[in-house]
Amino acid sequence: MRKIIVVLLLVIVATSSCRKLDVPVESQYVNGNFPVTAADFSAVIGPLYTQLSSKYCIEYFRMQELSTDEAILPARDGNWDDGGQYRQHHHHTWTKDHSNVKDIWAWGYGGINTCNRLLSLFDASPNSAAKTTALAEVKTMRAFFYFMMLDLYGNIPLVQKFPVTDLPTTAARADVFNFIEAELKSVYPSLPVKTSANAQLYYGKPTRGFAQALLAKLYINAEAYTGKAKYAETVSFCDSVIASNSYALDANFNAVFAPENGPQITETIFAIPYDPLLIPGQQFARFALVPYLCPKYGIPTNMSTAMSTTSNFYSLFNLPNDIRNNTWIIGKQFYFDGSPVWFPTKTKSLDQFYPGVNKDTLWQVEILKDLAMLPGKPFDLGNDIKAQCTGIRSSKFYPDKAIQAATRMGGNDMPVLRLADVFLMKAEAILRGAAATAVGAELQTPVVLVNKIRKRVGTTQVSAITLPEILDERARELSWECWRRNDLIRFGSFEIEYPIPGDVLTMDKRSHLRIFPIPATELALNPKLVQNPNY
Amino acid sequence: MLFISIGSFSQTTTVKGTVVDESGNPLQNATVAAVKNESVKTLTNVEGKFSLNVPVGTKEIVVSFVGYESTQLNVSSAAVKIILKLSTVALNDVVVTTGYGTNTKRNITGAITTLNADNFNRGAFSSPSQLLQGKVAGLNIAKSGDPNINPTVILRGPSTLREGAQEPFYVIDGVPGASLELVAPADIISIDVLKDASSTAIYGARASNGVIMVNTRRGSAGQTHLSYDTYVSVDKVSRKIDMLNGIELREYLAKNGQSLTGSIYDDPGASTDWQKEIMRDGISTNHNIAISGGNKSTIYSGSFNYFKNDGIVKTTSLDRSIIKASVEQKFFDDRFKVGINMTNSITNKYDVFQSFLFNNMLFYMPTVTVRRPNGTLTEDFTRGGYANPVGLIETNKNYTKENSSLIQGYLEANVLKGLTYTARYSIQNKQRTQGIYLNSNSALALQTGGRAYRGTYSSDNKVLESFLNYDKKIGSHNFKLLLGYSWQQDHFNDGFGVQTQGFTNDNLSYNNLFLSNPGTIGNIVFDNPAISTLRLISNYGRLNYSYKSKYLFQASMRNDGSSAFGANNRWGYFPAVSAGWRLSGESFLQNAKWLDDLKFRVGYGVSGNSLGFDAFTSIFRYGAVGRYYSNGQLLTAIGPSQNDNKDLKWESTSVLNVGFDFSMFSGKLTGNIDWYNKQTRDLIWDQYPVSTTQYFVSNITANVGKMKNTGVELTLNSTLVSKSKFSWNSSVNLSTNKNTVLSLSNDKFKLNQIPTAYLGGKGQTGNWSQVVKEGQPLGTFALWNYMGKNAAGTSTFKKADGTIIATQPLTSDFMVAGNAQPKLIYGWNNTFAYSNFDLTVFLRGVYGNKILNNTLAALNNPADSKFNNIPRFTSNEAFTDNVAYLTSDRFLENGSYLRVDNLTLGYNFLNINQNIKKIRIYSTVTNVLTLTKYTGIDPELNIGGLTPGIDNRNYYPKTRTFLLGISLNF
Repeated sequence: MRKIIVVLLLVIVATSSCRKLDVPVESQYVNGNFPVTAADFSAVIGPLYTQLSSKYCIEYFRMQELSTDEAILPARDGNWDDGGQYRQHHHHTWTKDHSNVKDIWAWGYGGINTCNRLLSLFDASPNSAAKTTALAEVKTMRAFFYFMMLDLYGNIPLVQKFPVTDLPTTAARADVFNFIEAELKSVYPSLPVKTSANAQLYYGKPTRGFAQALLAKLYINAEAYTGKAKYAETVSFCDSVIASNSYALDANFNAVFAPENGPQITETIFAIPYDPLLIPGQQFARFALVPYLCPKYGIPTNMSTAMSTTSNFYSLFNLPNDIRNNTWIIGKQFYFDGSPVWFPTKTKSLDQFYPGVNKDTLWQVEILKDLAMLPGKPFDLGNDIKAQCTGIRSSKFYPDKAIQAATRMGGNDMPVLRLADVFLMKAEAILRGAAATAVGAELQTPVVLVNKIRKRVGTTQVSAITLPEILDERARELSWECWRRNDLIRFGSFEIEYPIPGDVLTMDKRSHLRIFPIPATELALNPKLVQNPNY
Repeated sequence: MLFISIGSFSQTTTVKGTVVDESGNPLQNATVAAVKNESVKTLTNVEGKFSLNVPVGTKEIVVSFVGYESTQLNVSSAAVKIILKLSTVALNDVVVTTGYGTNTKRNITGAITTLNADNFNRGAFSSPSQLLQGKVAGLNIAKSGDPNINPTVILRGPSTLREGAQEPFYVIDGVPGASLELVAPADIISIDVLKDASSTAIYGARASNGVIMVNTRRGSAGQTHLSYDTYVSVDKVSRKIDMLNGIELREYLAKNGQSLTGSIYDDPGASTDWQKEIMRDGISTNHNIAISGGNKSTIYSGSFNYFKNDGIVKTTSLDRSIIKASVEQKFFDDRFKVGINMTNSITNKYDVFQSFLFNNMLFYMPTVTVRRPNGTLTEDFTRGGYANPVGLIETNKNYTKENSSLIQGYLEANVLKGLTYTARYSIQNKQRTQGIYLNSNSALALQTGGRAYRGTYSSDNKVLESFLNYDKKIGSHNFKLLLGYSWQQDHFNDGFGVQTQGFTNDNLSYNNLFLSNPGTIGNIVFDNPAISTLRLISNYGRLNYSYKSKYLFQASMRNDGSSAFGANNRWGYFPAVSAGWRLSGESFLQNAKWLDDLKFRVGYGVSGNSLGFDAFTSIFRYGAVGRYYSNGQLLTAIGPSQNDNKDLKWESTSVLNVGFDFSMFSGKLTGNIDWYNKQTRDLIWDQYPVSTTQYFVSNITANVGKMKNTGVELTLNSTLVSKSKFSWNSSVNLSTNKNTVLSLSNDKFKLNQIPTAYLGGKGQTGNWSQVVKEGQPLGTFALWNYMGKNAAGTSTFKKADGTIIATQPLTSDFMVAGNAQPKLIYGWNNTFAYSNFDLTVFLRGVYGNKILNNTLAALNNPADSKFNNIPRFTSNEAFTDNVAYLTSDRFLENGSYLRVDNLTLGYNFLNINQNIKKIRIYSTVTNVLTLTKYTGIDPELNIGGLTPGIDNRNYYPKTRTFLLGISLNF
């Protein structure tokens, strides 16, 4: 009897049945419970747009703008030195370890892989009109991410499927160009056309006009990217956008960039929507406004003093009555009622080299135009009050009253492609050799196109226009919209240096720097990638 | 028949006598009992005399006393004199809890250190691990001054790269993984620390950081016990950073031709000491009542503990009430035992936002008054991150309540001779509720009208253990066999939390979120909890063999499965084998009379580290990844937040341990020495970069690396003096450990080094200060090489190419500069007893480590003195040194210290009357004296985690405690 008990016990203990390790998942979406409904599919595309908004206005902006004369971010007594990453942009001395080089690559390929994942997810669902549109939407966004990677890095891997089983190899820039071209051409017929009725529905999402404008942008850069000019094709796709009558220049230039901008803006073809709390990433007011002026604009006062434009770039804004001239903050500052912005301080705080006694003084805030570096620290203006107010600031993306002190982000949506850019691209393509075409009854020569831009901003008309003048008009029209580097390279002016007094560093003018290096970390992780020449 | 005394009709007879020790000194409180009738007993009085009435026919009595050999003798009519001898093998009969069973110290073959309640540290402790600090060789416990943070505990060097995954595994009264908040330090009677894998492998995948077995007080048959312990203590700040006051700061600026900048409120001519404004003396009180008792079939115990600590930062406090009850009943001729234990602990904590507060406590200008003339707090919100420290305390409230309970039921059945079946089931439930209110004047919630958060989360753990123990003796061969099964399920983070803002007044704080006016939906923020369920299932077995206690052998195996590991790697095997040889039992050592006991042990085992895994660590997971615009609304985007890794499994540690246990000179000198080699492989790092051309999240968690720790531990306990009136016991423990990261790569994932410790700082965003590097230990510093000041008084640095510059270098100029791992950790405890007084002096220390004093670096900016306060150190720097604040090896200091950690003087009153057995009064001072070259607040930093040895900005001030306590035993 006892032996039976023993045996029974041993059986119980040794073979205790529960060996099941699968546990239920309660509060997370995993492959078993997501995506299921139609709203799920819509939410699942969402990350694409979140990815795009997360770095476009900061790190991507810095790569495309700090490397040009359009924007500069000097140090101020060691603040904003940050390992030298901003002065490396200015002098073109970045290396394959630069943090933006690494992060934007990850950002771009994160977007591309998300697109590939979504495409394989949608392929599995039953056919419908909604599926066709969704596939076209995702493919266009993928093409757009590839375009940005093409513009920045040149020779990049082409990854089209998810999951990625083998490490991808580098494709030559021309092959990537052809891929983007083929993709956009095949999908734009399936994309919706923007009308005034569906403007809100498709705002922030790719439309037929976006794909066509992107093709135009691709073609105008074809000579710079691949050596083969495609100016006639540029004109052709510009015409598709113009002729669609979906877009018209807004009468008020400032409205396009205002905090309240949105689907009601008629000229924007594709924009990235931002919100101060929920879609953060738009930091122009944070980086480019001086704290002493914040009360004037009604925003929290803990803004940084960092970013401004250069005086030689500002000198391009020389047209009379041009409303665009007012997008720069320069000179002595006044409140809206006309009274001066006074700032009580002490003389040595205002100017560290003040020779006299340090006493109280009342200073009218003045934004000074000319940057001058101080000896001692590289690329450093010093940090007295005058140095903080040196550097012409931009108010094109007008400071948003809804900015919260905690995040300092604005709600101005960022236009990526707009009708004004299309007009200027067509004008440039014609000057580079394509034939002028008519849209509707109007024969659109470069002069006609540039005058549309000039008329809208209230300044003088032109009677003749040359290619260099197109570059300057692009500077005036599209400042701080992430196109300057692309424009300068195309016009061969990327290596022009405007020395700043006191700057001991000089620009590296070698032409291989027209594309950024493949990040060192990526090369280490994927031995099949090939570094760009001369890096 | 003259044995029978006059009252013979009463059927009892009286036995009298005196009990003395070998020196003739009377032994008080020795137990004299009738053999075979334990209820008939008495205790000797202060003169050692006793008088016991035993039933007629009782043939023998037994006399016993702790630490002495019991003696049995015949009942006789005459008063007897009984001489008790000191027990030399008492130590070796100490029972050690080994995991699913017990063994005697004499027979164990692994490295286990046992501490009894008498050896514990004394003080106002909120965490039981402080009882062990400095007392166990190889266990490095470091405690910052913050009472709300548990100390970091590392056994035999760090063996993981993951934050929060270095803790040892706690088993409390047999419940694996029970929460330490459930144990009142006063309730613990012993702690066993299982150090090597041959001892810990029985706990499989959770045991590679060591296992700490905590045993609380149980009742015992025939003795009732009532005790009341109370103490009160005062914490005083023992060291703080010396900042300038307002007068000194103005003088400093004037001397350098500078003046204050900033808002006009910066100079009303005041001088405020912010550290004094926000700190105070902390007071702690503790009350503990415990009862226990029982007879031979039932034992019970119960206790209630209340601990309250008012922290040294104003408005911070912690109070904890723990109530515990247990009952055990025997049936069927004592062959069946059933018991139930219940514990409930409630903790209330009030805390402050420390990093903000301590930062501002140092930086905030001393030249302003706390309040303006109109009574409002002086603030300047135009400066980001700059807030009045008193304001931070007054305007922000952070309250947490935790309620934990543990119920355990068990049965033990002695089925056959030598065969016992045990089953245990326990449920632990924890509920945590938090309320945070940042009021409308708070710097942390500017322009929000007050921000409130309320959240509550609960988790529960269920454990079932079912095992058989079989003991068999065949001649001189002793076998013990264990076979068992364990099932555990943990369910975490079930709850929610929500934050809102915009209250019309602050009076209700966070109590009614309904009254908020958030304005936009973006101002209502929901927590994103991950409810997870973790299941562990194991089978285990162990065999112990002993031949005459001379040749010892143990082997164990555990098969662990966890739902957290990758789908390809759910189950693992953890074997261990060890052997021991009692050399002192051999004939060749029989004549060494000075040697009581000498045992040689060697053991090897493999255990795992699965800490930090939750149910989602290895799977592909979606999360909310921000919002996107869709048709006029901002909707939640749902996308992948983690790459999956089906091969993800536990980190695995194998330990080879060789040691000696010895006892010499009749027990006057005992100790042990161990050498170990601990190798950890499959080291997990969660930031293995993967190419974003292949994955869409740029990092993945994978098992790749290898790490090694080798070291030596020595423990010596000695009775240096032992006379009737005076005794002196001394014990010392020393341990060394050498940690090396062997590899961070395998054929699939490669990393040469991992930069860590991104400390930030002016102009240094994105700079790291430590690297994890192959061939170097964890905590290796990578810093700029400071080369002293140049002629102008500016700091200079050496670049990678050897040139010396007086400006900020690049990250490529970092050089390896030493590491945070100590070379030696030691503790030395001395207990002196003189008649009824006892004095304990405990020293402990650490030697050979480096600390990066980044707190000082961040403050060291002379030019910033125009708008920030500076320490006195900085006022000696050249004003024009514009790179003085850069983190470099200038601030890498020697972290060695020797601390007189505990000084306790006690007095015992014995045998006051029939009811009171003992009253003890004692007084303790902790952190009496610290000898160190470190110039920061305190060299004892939390040493856990990936970045040990860094003192950066938000370090809680160090305190010295004065404690007075009374302990009453009835």
